Amino acid sequence: MNIVSSNSALAIDVRGVSKVYPTPSGDFPALQGVDLTVRAGEFVAVVGRSGSGKTTLLNLLAGIDRPTSGEVWVAGTAVQTLGESRLAAWRGRSVGLVFQFFQLLPTLTVAENVMLPMDFCGVWGVRERRPAALALLEQVGIVEQADKLPAALSGGQQQRAAIARALATDPPVVLADEPTGNLDSATADAILELFSGLASAGKAVAMVTHERDLSGRAHRTVTLADGRVASDVAASL
Amino acid sequence: MLRDFWEARGRVGLMVTAIAVALVGVGALLVARAVITREAAAAYTSTNPAAATLDVDGGVDATLLAQVRTRPGVIDAAARQTIATRALVNGQWRRMLLFVVAPDDPMSVARFTVQSGTWPTSDDALLLERSSGTVLNAVPGGTVQIAGPNGPVTAITVAGLAYDPALAPATQERTGYGYLTPSAAQRLGFSPMADELKIVTARDPSSVDSVASDVAAWLTTTGHTVHQVQAPPYQHPHQNQTNAITGLFLAFALAALLLAAVLVAATLGGMLSAQTRQIGIMKSVGATTGQLLRMYLSATVVIAAASTAVSIGPAVLAGYGLVGLVAGLLNIDITSLALPWWVFAVLVAAGIGIPVLVALGPILRAARVSVRTALDDHGLDAATGARPIDQWLARLRGSRTLMLTLRNLTRRLGRLALTVTLLAAGGGLFTASLNASSAWQVWVDNGLARRTYDAEIQLSAPAPAGAVLEAVRGTRGVTSAEMVTTLAATPADASGQIEVQRTYPDGGHGRFSLVGLPADTGMLHLEVLQGRWLLPGDSDGVVLNQGAATRLGTPRIGDTVHLAVAGRVGTWKVLGFVAEVGGPATAYTVPEALAPYVGVGRLTGIRVAVDKEDPGAAIARVEASVAGTGAIVASTTPTSELRTAIDQHVVIFIYTLTALAVLMGIVGLLGLASSMSITVVERRGEYGIMQAIGATPGTVRRLILAEGVLSGFLGAIAGVLIGLPLSIVVGDFLGRISFGLPLPFEVSVGGVLLWLGLVVAGAVAATLTAAYRAGRLTVRETLAYQ
Ligand SMILES: Nc1ncnc2c1ncn2[C@@H]1O[C@H](COP(=O)(O)OP(=O)(O)OP(=O)(O)O)[C@@H](O)[C@H]1O
Ligand SMILES: [Mg+2]
Repeated sequence: MNIVSSNSALAIDVRGVSKVYPTPSGDFPALQGVDLTVRAGEFVAVVGRSGSGKTTLLNLLAGIDRPTSGEVWVAGTAVQTLGESRLAAWRGRSVGLVFQFFQLLPTLTVAENVMLPMDFCGVWGVRERRPAALALLEQVGIVEQADKLPAALSGGQQQRAAIARALATDPPVVLADEPTGNLDSATADAILELFSGLASAGKAVAMVTHERDLSGRAHRTVTLADGRVASDVAASL
Repeated sequence: MLRDFWEARGRVGLMVTAIAVALVGVGALLVARAVITREAAAAYTSTNPAAATLDVDGGVDATLLAQVRTRPGVIDAAARQTIATRALVNGQWRRMLLFVVAPDDPMSVARFTVQSGTWPTSDDALLLERSSGTVLNAVPGGTVQIAGPNGPVTAITVAGLAYDPALAPATQERTGYGYLTPSAAQRLGFSPMADELKIVTARDPSSVDSVASDVAAWLTTTGHTVHQVQAPPYQHPHQNQTNAITGLFLAFALAALLLAAVLVAATLGGMLSAQTRQIGIMKSVGATTGQLLRMYLSATVVIAAASTAVSIGPAVLAGYGLVGLVAGLLNIDITSLALPWWVFAVLVAAGIGIPVLVALGPILRAARVSVRTALDDHGLDAATGARPIDQWLARLRGSRTLMLTLRNLTRRLGRLALTVTLLAAGGGLFTASLNASSAWQVWVDNGLARRTYDAEIQLSAPAPAGAVLEAVRGTRGVTSAEMVTTLAATPADASGQIEVQRTYPDGGHGRFSLVGLPADTGMLHLEVLQGRWLLPGDSDGVVLNQGAATRLGTPRIGDTVHLAVAGRVGTWKVLGFVAEVGGPATAYTVPEALAPYVGVGRLTGIRVAVDKEDPGAAIARVEASVAGTGAIVASTTPTSELRTAIDQHVVIFIYTLTALAVLMGIVGLLGLASSMSITVVERRGEYGIMQAIGATPGTVRRLILAEGVLSGFLGAIAGVLIGLPLSIVVGDFLGRISFGLPLPFEVSVGGVLLWLGLVVAGAVAATLTAAYRAGRLTVRETLAYQ
């Protein structure tokens, strides 16, 4: 393990990471020698063809999966060194995750969905959690829907709720895997706007997307091809 | 398909186990019932029991016997004698029946099998019925101390053992049975007189009764007096009970099987709905509903067949075990354990048929799903949130984890209902069995508490009441004593015609007693069910216990009934009905009313209460005092013996009932395990999300455990509630079979707590596997699942 501590200005610091999946037809390298850094306040889009390893990379960043080799530092922690339980706790506080299929818990109201990570991670006092959740919902523009069940919300509204939930513990890093994949382009645009705002507020945002035109809003676009970083281009603003 | 089975091996295992467990119960009872019914009948028939026994005054000699054999309808006949006396066993008296058989008796009627020693025995020896060895604490080669008619005890050698499956087992009756020759009986002091005419007729009850009545009438015309005619049912004395109770158990076991089948249906339904997408894909590539149906049906058949195959061995073993127990209780030898083919046919048909039939519903539903609906299925059920109950629950405020548990519980209302039903049915039977057995205990305890005497001493002939009572009351250790006069009576009709008695040769089963007690007795306080207890001066009235009421055709208060005692028919007015635990059918009246039979101021027995320290010695002193007055003690029955006899009659049924209850409980818990495992599979995605937003695997585990325990608890409570009416039904049945009265309603608090505890523990265990698996799933796996 590296004795040199990671650069603390870097919210995400991936060093020489490989990920090999064992398959019936032999080992399959999904990622090979990937290096990637993201600073706080930076909005990075990860693009690439299907199967290029985008989700794999994001999963490694979120501690959902472990690298075969290399180091993954996120929010100052070497993710690959944590056990399942510590990982879950770390994840709750340090990264906010947004998925393609919204993934709200169907039995909890929108506000309760947002409060759940606060419960899990013990942030805010018990009485402050609901006002905090409402404030987040206000921020993503769906505070009127707070007490509805997810089934009663449109796709765009559900994704906003999911973003509010990702922000519930005020994590320094936000990771999103095709957050707009299931939305029409106008709604997708609004969601991107939100991510862009989060980066401006100082969070490191990494977003996987298929649609190259959507990546135009990001500060940088990282392109993966066959498990390697093919290009890393800063947006020409 | 096979791969899917392997993936779901936990749940397939659950289904197989549930069906197999229930089938073992069904099979064991089928096996036991088939073998016992056949063997008990064979054993009873093998003795060629008399169809009827006539008590002929003065005895039956060889000439008369030869004449009887020629009477129409009489197939065979024998003349015997039965002497009721007692034996001294380790300082305690036991009831003893001596069957006197002439050495030249051809032993074609009411025969017994000599198992050791030889028959006829010498003058100083007897054969013991093998089941009485423990009651008399005697072995071949040893001796038995038998009381003669005048009191003194004579030791007689046990020459060997006989096997007589026509008798109710000695251990249950607490009675010794011996076979001896007339000269051996004479050596003990009895006067041999073959006054029992045993006849064999055609087996149907109407020919038995008409031939017996004809023979009785013929004997009367030839100058003989017939005191009574006994024609017991042509089956083992305990056969009816055994049949009825194994029937009840079989019904329980079938109920368990049905529950197991429902469990299979629900589990399959859950597995199939988790596979909706796959089904859609298969359909989109051309699979027809028919093909899918066949595929899932054959899967069900495979599961059911596997369970059946697994269960047959243990079922037969358990059934044979039960056969052994019951055979021991009935004192019959099992000559063949062969099983009729229908036992297997029923087992296989039930084991495969019931689950397949029940599973047909969910399978049809799944196979019919349209491609569109199937492909729209994303694992997370979108339906949740649309129902009123969700809206309502959403308004509840509280801890999120509590909310999650509560709302998740109600997500699949159908499945929750099923789990609760399974547990409720299991719990209902479990608590009902324990309630019934505690009702049994309470009823026997209460019943015996109503007898405040420690022993009843019967005299061999009526003796002066004053002298005997005075002597007994003056005996050291006696706290109180009361007279009791017991006469063997026979229900008769108004014309004086003696009813054919259904009494067995042991004189116990089917016996009817007419008992004279002081109206203000301080020793017997029976519960009056209707009418009233005796008052002094009720010399033409009787109070009937439930057995007597049944035997007299359930008369009403104020009705007149007829009872024959020693050939004389008396008329009695019914004053009331009482409930009595233990003892034969009895009509109670005041002592004066029996003066015509025993003489004025005479008694045939006494009841005594003695000091608690060394009651045995006190009772022995009482006997000595009685003997001192010149009266002869025929039998002494300590009240504690009564309890043993009563308990012995039902203990196996209580055990079997409890075993079945445990079986039902297991099926219920398997249901919970299965439904939790389906739930966990269905919600994999959600558990992944929770872990993605900071829930530790432990949190997820606790959530699942809470849900499992909560549904377990709901089911357990429902089970206890269902158990209440069910215990009344079971208690009614058990009570009627054993006492002729329903058992009281009794809640076994221990049983209820045990059940609640078991379910909570079982729910934890049942859910733990599922929860553990969910907690171990990595987030990637759960999220990949869509
Ligand atoms: N659990 C696994 N076992 C084996 N191979 C896997 C596994 N998960 C992913 N892969 C393979 O790794 C490669 C990268 O997968 P990944 O999901 O990261 O692609 P992606 O870029 O996100 O694609 P898409 O745009 O389609 O979502 C793919 O070729 C995939 O088949
Ligand atoms: Mg992907």
